[in-house]
Amino acid sequence: MKLDHSQPLEYSSEQGRLNILGFWIFIGAEIMLFGTLFASYFTLEGRHGSGPSGAEIFELSPVLIETILLLTSSFTVGLAVHAMRLKNKKAMMTFFIITLVLGAGFLSMEIYEFNHYIHEGAGITVSAFTSALLTTIGTHGLHVTLGLFWGLFILIQVAKRGFTPETANKSFIFSLYWHFLDVVWIFIFSFIYLKGMM
Amino acid sequence: MEFFERFAIPHPSPIIYASMVAIGITLLAIVAGLTFFKKWGYLWREWLTTVDHKRIGIMYLISALLMLFRGGVDALMMRAQLATPDAQLLDSQHYNEIFTTHGVVMIIFMAMAFIIALMNFVVPLQIGARDVAFPRLNALSFWLYFMGAMLFNLSFVIGGSPSSGWTSYFPLAGNEFSPSVGTNYYMIAIQIAGIGTLITGINFIVTILKMRAPGMKLMKMPMFTWSALITNLIITFAFPVLTVALAMGTMDRLFGTQFFTTGNGGMDMLWANLFWVWGHPEVYILVLPAFGVYSEIISTFARRNLYGYKSMVASMVIISVLSFVVWVHHFFTMGQGAMVNSIFSITTMAIAVPTGIKIFNWLFTLYKGSIRFTVPMMYSLGFLPIFTIGGVTGVMLGMSAADYQYHNTMFLVAHFHLVIIPGVVFAMLAGLTYWWPKMFGFMLNERIGKWAFWFISIGTCVAFFPMFISGLDGQARRMYTYSESTGFGFWNMLSFAGAVMLAIGFIIIVYNIYYSTRYASRDIGSDPWDARSLEWATSTPVPEYNFAEVPQVNSSEAFWDSKYNGHKLFSGKLKEIHMPNNSGVPFIMSSLFFVLGFSFIFSIWIGVAIALLGIVACLVHRSFEQDHGYHIPVEEIEKTESELRGGK
Amino acid sequence: MKELFPLKQVMGFVFSLVLTAVALLVYFVDMSFALGMTILLVTAFVQAMLQLMVFMHARESEDSGLILSNVYYGVFIAVVTVFGSLLALIWGYM
Repeated sequence: MKLDHSQPLEYSSEQGRLNILGFWIFIGAEIMLFGTLFASYFTLEGRHGSGPSGAEIFELSPVLIETILLLTSSFTVGLAVHAMRLKNKKAMMTFFIITLVLGAGFLSMEIYEFNHYIHEGAGITVSAFTSALLTTIGTHGLHVTLGLFWGLFILIQVAKRGFTPETANKSFIFSLYWHFLDVVWIFIFSFIYLKGMM
Repeated sequence: MEFFERFAIPHPSPIIYASMVAIGITLLAIVAGLTFFKKWGYLWREWLTTVDHKRIGIMYLISALLMLFRGGVDALMMRAQLATPDAQLLDSQHYNEIFTTHGVVMIIFMAMAFIIALMNFVVPLQIGARDVAFPRLNALSFWLYFMGAMLFNLSFVIGGSPSSGWTSYFPLAGNEFSPSVGTNYYMIAIQIAGIGTLITGINFIVTILKMRAPGMKLMKMPMFTWSALITNLIITFAFPVLTVALAMGTMDRLFGTQFFTTGNGGMDMLWANLFWVWGHPEVYILVLPAFGVYSEIISTFARRNLYGYKSMVASMVIISVLSFVVWVHHFFTMGQGAMVNSIFSITTMAIAVPTGIKIFNWLFTLYKGSIRFTVPMMYSLGFLPIFTIGGVTGVMLGMSAADYQYHNTMFLVAHFHLVIIPGVVFAMLAGLTYWWPKMFGFMLNERIGKWAFWFISIGTCVAFFPMFISGLDGQARRMYTYSESTGFGFWNMLSFAGAVMLAIGFIIIVYNIYYSTRYASRDIGSDPWDARSLEWATSTPVPEYNFAEVPQVNSSEAFWDSKYNGHKLFSGKLKEIHMPNNSGVPFIMSSLFFVLGFSFIFSIWIGVAIALLGIVACLVHRSFEQDHGYHIPVEEIEKTESELRGGK
Repeated sequence: MKELFPLKQVMGFVFSLVLTAVALLVYFVDMSFALGMTILLVTAFVQAMLQLMVFMHARESEDSGLILSNVYYGVFIAVVTVFGSLLALIWGYM
């Protein structure tokens, strides 16, 4: 395989560069996926039928904790990539593990939150509003769940194989995915929760 | 027994039972044939596990042709039912099922597959690449599409077909009015095929952006490659919308959510809105590759370079943006008021402009060209007037006030068929004939091909022009019959005659394939049309690595320049070639998607769980797998090349 | 240890926390809907740009032009879809 050593390891192989650009295009598709979910949510936001409205069920503290957990995990996965470029395997893996732990924390908060909604009588079948709300947040949550498993597999590969063009490439792409999920969450936080509680 | 009752057809008829038997016998015959001729190993090694873009292209092509006949038979049955007033050939339920499956099969499983078939085969060759950027994903795309298509066609014999139109509007498509599993099939089969298409979109964008031969700048790409790039861009950004809409529809039907219901705040028109946010760009996904095909063919057979290359590119880039801002014109009559309708009327008028520019560019390419009337060229020339009629009536429909008159009449049906048939079907037939020698090593018979062309183009006009009149007279679309006093009888009989002509045309094409396979000369060289772009610079049949040496490019017609203007494509220095390994995972994973989809459709949750676990296992396998492909040494390339050259 | 925490990323993180705090104003301070939405729009899009440029390294590779035009195209189409849907399904009836 031809390697270009003037670039960071994740960019060094031709296939690696293709993968990174391909993933960026995929992120473009994801922007549209969440854009559609937002379009549906905003359309159905005021249509509660006989169910509760957003202002009645949203709680600030769990949402704020989730936001801070995810923002911090986005920061640490950035540090993991930075450590990877310094060829510091131990630091990279530490930051990576912290990222996944924070992600798991986010997910448990979200599960708690969903439970809370169901107790408040806002299950997914109650009204158009709850369907759109739980589907939008749930899609993001599903992405985080997939990311946790994916990240775990990459972590195992880095531990076993060290930094190779492939593992570095996968780790970098994972970091793109994770940052993107953070961006989506910022929009959920701003335009679903804060707008709903305003 | 209760478990099996759900698989019964809710509204059976002798035709359906006969089809069940026919499908069963065909499957048995295939299995028996493969076993008898000991072809299972060949099938698995050479086709089911292949990641070669050329073979994947050919598999797309075969599937597309099969679906063309499935959809064509639907169309014939519809026209036969409507040919006379108060006909009894089909009842209303069957008629509804048939127009639904006709639309879905033709758009999603025929036209999409056909354009992706040509893109797969041609684009890597045209840019001088060895394969696509992600060969494994390419195989996954195909198998997901294939399994989606098979799943959808299964609805005919297991559980009942969808019957709420290819647009599947709610609340008609909801559980209350469509209680059978038909609409589940619609939601899930399209979802699976759509994921495959989305992957194709990403794959080809990266391929075209990153894997072009040295010297081929963006503005030096052949026009078909340009159209493929823009098409895939639109695919990548439009298909997620469909994914979301279908997921919501599925959840409404299976899990009782309230997105598109009529109570508890649900909004049925949200479905229509999302459907067309995807659906209008989808129209351009279909027609842009066709424009690319015509650009190649017209410049080849007019023996002139394409007029207005830059304006061709610019108009496609403009279309890639405008196609996303016109969707509301599909439901002007919904009641959203004059302001909104005016906005979308104006954007609709605007999108006709870049399309018009392209028509004039083709005309100017033809002007003073030395035209050869080959079959591909005849389709291209037939396309220009018929498509223009279809397009201009589209502008009529785009005027929102007037649209209240045309909406949901046969006028609309005439319009979009006169756009899609010349715009997509003609182009695909032209492209198929044009690239056939590169794919299979012999040419289709020109004389028989011209017969087919005349039947198909005249048949199209005879079938659809009368609908303008009956539509303006008030015949609504999707009505399974009408009374004699309406006076629609004559026009519909004429349409039926046109449909029969179309059918004869397609039968002639099948005969042509048979005839040419048996009798056509194999000694055609690598460039039988005297063409202009890179795919003709490699030998026929194309070796697995496409080009022994990556060509050096200086213009959008590098091959033409190398033939007539002294440009040197190859330096003659060979290097070893890196190739991807075959893999069975895409096929296995897509089969699991088939099981997943089927289980979802019939709410068999244990099947869903097992299939999901299998899919996850495939993903985990992929994550941990280390696959660096293999290398073809120089000696082997030299051997292959001398065999290919020597065969001439 | 210090080399593991590059200043750019630390500052980016601090700034993203500040943006979150500013967005929270709409909850704690009584203000008009228009002002609140303006604040949210600004903070959310600045935050997104911050992630894109600082953390996702969107500008570092040879393909940065492609990457950024892809993202901007996606955002444009997504925004058109959101507002177009609202126009066709809600605002058009007012």
